[in-house]
Amino acid sequence: MKREPIDQFAAEQSDERRTSVRLGSKAGHEKGTQVLHEDYADVDLLRRLAGQIKQHTLEHLDSYLEKAEEKLRTRGVKVHFALDAEAACQSVLDILQARGAKRLVKTKTMVSEEIELLPFLERHGVECFETDLGEFIVQLDADRPSHIVKPILHKNRREIARTFQQKGLGTYDDTPEVITRRAREFLRRKYLEADVGLSGANFVSAESGRLVLVTNEGNSRFCLAAPRCHIAVVGIEKLVPDDRSLSVFLNLLARSATGQRLSVYTEFICGARSPDAPDGPEEMHVIFLDNGRTEVLGTEYREILRCLRCGACLNVCPVYRQASGHAYRSVYPGPVGAVLSPLLAGKRFLELADLPKASTLCGACAEVCPVDIPIPDLLVRLRNRGKQEGAPSGATPSLGGFAKLASMPTAWKAALGMGKLVDHMPRAVQPGPLRAWQGERDLPAWRGGAFRSWFRKRGKKT
Amino acid sequence: MTDARDEIFARIRAALKPLEARTTLPTFDASVAIARHAQAMPDLVAAFTQALEAVHGRAFRDPTALATWLRAKEATLGYVDPEVLAALGPAFATELTLETSFSRARVEDYKFGITRDAGAIAESGTIILDDRSTPVRLAALAPWIHIAVVPRSRIHACIPDAISALGDDANIIWCTGPSKTADVEGILIEGVHGPGEQVALIVDG
Amino acid sequence: MSTCLCDAFFDDVARATVEVLEQLGCTVEFPERQTCCGQPAFNAGDWPAARTVLRHAVDVFAGEAPVVIPSASCAAMLSHGAQILFENEPDVVAVKQLGTRAWELTDFIVRGLGVTSWPGRFAGRVAFHRSCHARGSGTGDAVSALLRSVSGLEFVDFDEAEQCCGFGGTFSVAFASISTAMGTLKLDNLLAAKPDVIVSTDMSCLLHLRGLAERQGRPLRALHVAQVLRDALASSEVGR
Repeated sequence: MKREPIDQFAAEQSDERRTSVRLGSKAGHEKGTQVLHEDYADVDLLRRLAGQIKQHTLEHLDSYLEKAEEKLRTRGVKVHFALDAEAACQSVLDILQARGAKRLVKTKTMVSEEIELLPFLERHGVECFETDLGEFIVQLDADRPSHIVKPILHKNRREIARTFQQKGLGTYDDTPEVITRRAREFLRRKYLEADVGLSGANFVSAESGRLVLVTNEGNSRFCLAAPRCHIAVVGIEKLVPDDRSLSVFLNLLARSATGQRLSVYTEFICGARSPDAPDGPEEMHVIFLDNGRTEVLGTEYREILRCLRCGACLNVCPVYRQASGHAYRSVYPGPVGAVLSPLLAGKRFLELADLPKASTLCGACAEVCPVDIPIPDLLVRLRNRGKQEGAPSGATPSLGGFAKLASMPTAWKAALGMGKLVDHMPRAVQPGPLRAWQGERDLPAWRGGAFRSWFRKRGKKT
Repeated sequence: MTDARDEIFARIRAALKPLEARTTLPTFDASVAIARHAQAMPDLVAAFTQALEAVHGRAFRDPTALATWLRAKEATLGYVDPEVLAALGPAFATELTLETSFSRARVEDYKFGITRDAGAIAESGTIILDDRSTPVRLAALAPWIHIAVVPRSRIHACIPDAISALGDDANIIWCTGPSKTADVEGILIEGVHGPGEQVALIVDG
Repeated sequence: MSTCLCDAFFDDVARATVEVLEQLGCTVEFPERQTCCGQPAFNAGDWPAARTVLRHAVDVFAGEAPVVIPSASCAAMLSHGAQILFENEPDVVAVKQLGTRAWELTDFIVRGLGVTSWPGRFAGRVAFHRSCHARGSGTGDAVSALLRSVSGLEFVDFDEAEQCCGFGGTFSVAFASISTAMGTLKLDNLLAAKPDVIVSTDMSCLLHLRGLAERQGRPLRALHVAQVLRDALASSEVGR
């Protein structure tokens, strides 16, 4: 029997990789859960609160986005809007070209992956460096990140050391401290030489216009200290209503993402540096990006836009742990990706329609989501949409026949009787799903009709 | 550009138009997000110190002890914001070279940077920096050791307090311990692009 | 509701369910025209087919009596999945009404009938595998309370209890490799706790876990919670 693509990918993965991903995810989940329950008596209350704040913001997005824009403009920030990936990339390039800028350093931001910014800039002669350690290694390797928060979850130190050696960052040394030190030294020069620092934003407060950047390494601080221009590319769904709500979000985000109470650096940025300050950007730009978000906003899947990109759903997902991020063939993997990626694909929805099927609908993701997104409900809705739009069923057996049988009691009862035949059928001639089941599992003996006749007989006794 | 803006807002409005019932903004008490251990902190300095140490930062109350520590680490050349010299005291500079201007060209020479702060948070062990107090951003970021001078009166109890006090500085940074990563096999390494040592010198005032 | 799995493979579980309910003083009816709750088609995204099946169930189970089911996943389908399936349908009210009367067996015993401890004796180490569809319902606590109260029963914990067993309906064949890996991990964790028996509210999970265990040559005794409750009662009757 055929396999679904994600299952195929999982099966072909090396044991080493599978183990790295599974144990790394498991550790992340356990740490996050532990800290949340240590610190709060009612974690679910907080998650529901955060979810409602986000939902409210999304449902009033036009007014909040307008407020944020106005605040930022008042602070001298140049605000741009980009309809899609192409427009956003062009916007960034236009800013660079206007400044004669040729060198860019960037912090970790999923949105830049989504719009494929770096290949675009490099094609136009801009030298770009990822500065988050994991993303830097991904860049050196021409690889792709496999987790929203831990981009090289799938790599081990030996692979990294080999890459460093190949790229001229020193002789082979797989000590994590040495790897980190080499990245520090190499990128430090790049920060100081760069013309532009590019970031995303974890939150944008409509009340103050503040962009909030949540990091651990110090790379985003450097991107905002050394270069003379700051460009932030931000999805429109990153809005929160006010500064006050940030106390809820910041506490949930760090714990859900990495089990920390707060990330090492939380930056609140709403403008360029003051004129007499020696460090920092003299010019700040924010590019608000749509790229399919408004379309999602208009559907019954809009709750997915609450996502804080914490990665907690990936960490707990048993399917993600087996398949790893690359199996999802898109920028956003795991449970959130299984919903978001097909939706953001717009007209290419059907190409990713198999992603929502890669789930047992176990609900572990919904239990850990800091903004209470009902991911399993969204997945099952997307399965319905996929079927209606004619997505190929792939390796998933059709249940039309079963459903027909289940609405015809006489036929159902007859089938219960006939099912005994299965016990005597050689596997090769059994129906597809039964054959596939028995690839790895035994089937119990058929007992169709046994309960019913028992119940009937005892009824006659009384 | 205005076209894109108008288009996006038009799309948002069209997307939301069919929604009959809208989710209201929930009211909540800020204390709901305060961690258990921070619910009662009679001594903010002690609480701040404990939280800072929990994230592998260090707290000093005595500039002499701090100077001794720096020398023991062979961190003898560093940048100091001239405004904190008074707080450090005259003896601080013994066997240490203190420079009061920061040169980008010599960024690797500075083994430590001592700057002012814009407050601190006891709940999380956070040191707050901003452009007003630390306009030389690199001085607090590039050297391996960053020392923030923290007047006790500026220690907020909890995160909600610190958020209410954000003010209008364009660049506010909450530093909670030394920079770190766990990207390589989940192993925690401190000192990535930012400081490997985050220090608070708590002073009166 | 006996569920399609018990109808096909697990008649003893359905029997135990009836016996347990009768012991508690209930009059149990079994509408013969019943078939399935519609979950397989719903989860597979074939909503028109799922609606056909569920409409039949609404018809079969019409009335006011509680519908008790030896399956947390079928109960969740009727009380939660069905709401989504029928949200834009003209007969949504009837579907919702059925949903309010649908109970997983142990949830019914504890929250429906107010029974919080169970008489009789069942000796042995029991590892309770809480099925995923019991999430957010009263079932997990109900099973825990009832089993812990049984004399002789030692309730054992095991690692990664929140991780799904890997059944997932059609997932088990469409994503066979991941399903098997998940099931194997679950078996590893369960068996490491050295239980005498693994208990669940869902035969779907046990079908998958037992099937895997047998194929892998690992001995596994698995019972539905209804069977444990019935056996505990039976032992008290014999005066053990």
